[in-house]
Amino acid sequence: MSTLKIMGVAAGLALGFATLPALAFEPERDVTIVVTSSAGGGSDTATRILASVIDELELTPVNFLVENRTGGSGSVGYSFVAGRTGDPYLWTKVGVSFFTTPLMGESPVSYTDFTPLAAISVDPYIMVVAANSPIQSLDDIIESGRMISGTTGIVADPALLAQKLQEELEIEVDIVPFGGDGEVTAALLGGHIEVQFGNPSEVLELIEAGEVRAIAASSDRRVPGFDDIPTFVELGYDVVQTQLRGFVMPRDVPEDAVGYWTAIIEQAVASPQWKEQYLDRFNAIPYVLSGAEFQAEMDRRNEEYTELMTTLGIIE
Amino acid sequence: METLTLLGSGIWAAASDPMMLLAILIGALVGLLIGALPGLGPTAGVAIMLPVAVGFEPVVALAMLAGVYYGAMFGGAVTSILLGIPGDAPSVMTVIDGYPMAKQGKAGQALGMSVYASFVGGLVGLVGLTLMAQIFSRYALMFGPVEMTALMILSLSLVTVLGTNDRLKSFISLGLGLWIGTIGLDQIMGGPRFTYGSSILLEGIDFSLIAVGMFGLGQMFLALEEGPASRVDMASYSYRSMMPRWIDFIKCRAALFTGSIIGFVVGVLPGAGATAATMMAYATAKKMSKEPEKFGTGAIEGVAAPEAANNSASYGNMVTLFTLGIPGSATMAVMMAGLLMLGLQPGPRLFEQQSEFVWTLFGTFYIGNLLLVFITILLVPILAAAVFVSRGLLFAMVIGVVVYGIYGINLSLDDLLVMAAFGVLGYVTSKLNYPTVPLILGVVIGPMLELGVRRSLITSRGDFSIFLGSSISVFLLVCTVIILVLPLFRRFRHSRALSTEQSA
Repeated sequence: MSTLKIMGVAAGLALGFATLPALAFEPERDVTIVVTSSAGGGSDTATRILASVIDELELTPVNFLVENRTGGSGSVGYSFVAGRTGDPYLWTKVGVSFFTTPLMGESPVSYTDFTPLAAISVDPYIMVVAANSPIQSLDDIIESGRMISGTTGIVADPALLAQKLQEELEIEVDIVPFGGDGEVTAALLGGHIEVQFGNPSEVLELIEAGEVRAIAASSDRRVPGFDDIPTFVELGYDVVQTQLRGFVMPRDVPEDAVGYWTAIIEQAVASPQWKEQYLDRFNAIPYVLSGAEFQAEMDRRNEEYTELMTTLGIIE
Repeated sequence: METLTLLGSGIWAAASDPMMLLAILIGALVGLLIGALPGLGPTAGVAIMLPVAVGFEPVVALAMLAGVYYGAMFGGAVTSILLGIPGDAPSVMTVIDGYPMAKQGKAGQALGMSVYASFVGGLVGLVGLTLMAQIFSRYALMFGPVEMTALMILSLSLVTVLGTNDRLKSFISLGLGLWIGTIGLDQIMGGPRFTYGSSILLEGIDFSLIAVGMFGLGQMFLALEEGPASRVDMASYSYRSMMPRWIDFIKCRAALFTGSIIGFVVGVLPGAGATAATMMAYATAKKMSKEPEKFGTGAIEGVAAPEAANNSASYGNMVTLFTLGIPGSATMAVMMAGLLMLGLQPGPRLFEQQSEFVWTLFGTFYIGNLLLVFITILLVPILAAAVFVSRGLLFAMVIGVVVYGIYGINLSLDDLLVMAAFGVLGYVTSKLNYPTVPLILGVVIGPMLELGVRRSLITSRGDFSIFLGSSISVFLLVCTVIILVLPLFRRFRHSRALSTEQSA
């Protein structure tokens, strides 16, 4: 265990990937990727791994710097990026607050103030109950007519999921917001709430150790690594909710630059390194979209968050 | 017994690998520095080191990250004592008696006690983590919103201990703190509260800004008024004065012990945090002391209790991460991200599947703790020389460092404005003799209490009897009543005794 392993140097094998379509844009400066949440969070981790994969594959001569600009529930970082119109060396990562903070009127910029690069993956949620819970299936929940679920925040995907299930299962749902996934899991294991919608990588170990039981997955297909767990759709309920991960740039960036960076992201996320270091490790589902398709996906999500927040009475 | 063997081999594995020792040393030094730097705390420190650390082998990387964490707990005390500016949130309580001690020329004694308290607290926390983690993780899970509410009510009742004799001013100060704690996005309903349309306040006010502003800047403003004449009584900063005298150690044994235990027991609870633990430890030490009136004026137990608590809490905080894969705080969430990025899966089976990793890592904690004692003892006389610097120079430098540290949290100029505002508030409250501690208590405990109450009531659908439905909660509430009623009862007896005396 005494040898120093420096990850970046380890892979000199990936030269075959380094051929790019001939485009007019030639990068001359390093790229900054702004992450609006703090280091160590899901967005930050995905971004840093993508940056290191691009570096490892030597897809472009320039380097990527990941910068955490937190504060104002995302509005600080997002308005910084949106303000730098035309800058071809600035990306930012799409997160939930990308949509929700502007909807609350708390940000000078909204998701329409950016140029889409590419979506890279979606993170599904796994609905779990404590191992000693009487709930064995969705039918048990329907029968009891009520469900107490935890969420990582009131304007967050697990809350949205609970809201959707309330309608689909025709049950009453009480949503308890906690300060993070860890607190939700602790409350679930302690029997203080009944249901959690957890990140696959975090609940997988708990499932295998027999601490929690999985009921269903929130993606449109089965989650890699959770092949026995049915989706809500398979169980007959039209509920799909995943967290979108992707990157955008400021407005008015030259088209060839947008095309150049989009191609780089697409190559990186198609590589075995990305699969091994991100998709497999975090049980994420690849979901690659670019340009107009990505824009349409963002429109759809914005619509959903608007609806949720209206239902919850946060916005009118 | 098997655990002890595993731990022994873990310590040996860590100690016999020079690479590992270097990682511990780097982590601990970075932690010390970040802890001592006002503003930046353990979470920021671990996050800063994360991208560097993941380049290494898992045990080395985690040893380094954890080193930053517990190192910061050691370092926080330095500026708290020497300058009266909390280096990070969990060392706020250390200011209250540490700084007066420094002003009385007892900086060495105070710093020495903080080192020893950190070591004792760390050791108690480590024993809890390494030998009783499984038991404590089950206990932590029993604390849901209901139990947390009761614990926070108990903590709030400590205001009667932490405030001054002027009850009214203490409670006004507490109320102000509770209000400040509500600023920002409401976590339960999602709407902004008291942000007045400003995005600066949307995420609430970072506790570091309040602590550094009210204690650090506020005290500096006050000192400026005193003029250059009042120089610190020059004390000797020999190594000898660094060593706590045995009599101090014996005097503080109760504070050290209860501080360590409270720190660990509170630190284990997800979402509770080290800062709350230091407040409870401090109040308990004051309550148990034979001379409670000395607290706040430079009582050495007032340094011992919170410093033991925050170090012990740092290991308590790791319990649920290692036993269940549940990060109980923001810092632990960053550590967990580190584990995941290194390809290790935290969870209930980590101890079985990665036994060597876990025990070697725990081994590094023991070594790191010991290492920190030596490092800090060597560094402290150099740091303590700060008191010889003339005030004009010192304040300018300190303000520079404070601005750097606070700006470093979010790279935000707005944060500096908020900090300055709290500096003014600190100055005004001191001038008007409003105690600062109840305000700080309100800021820390208030949000946890509010969230506990509202989460409980969501699950019970508004039925308040839920708070009496848990034996832990009932026990804590009964303790609260005792704490509140006992002084009244004593006073009653006292006045009756007085009146019988008079009539006799």
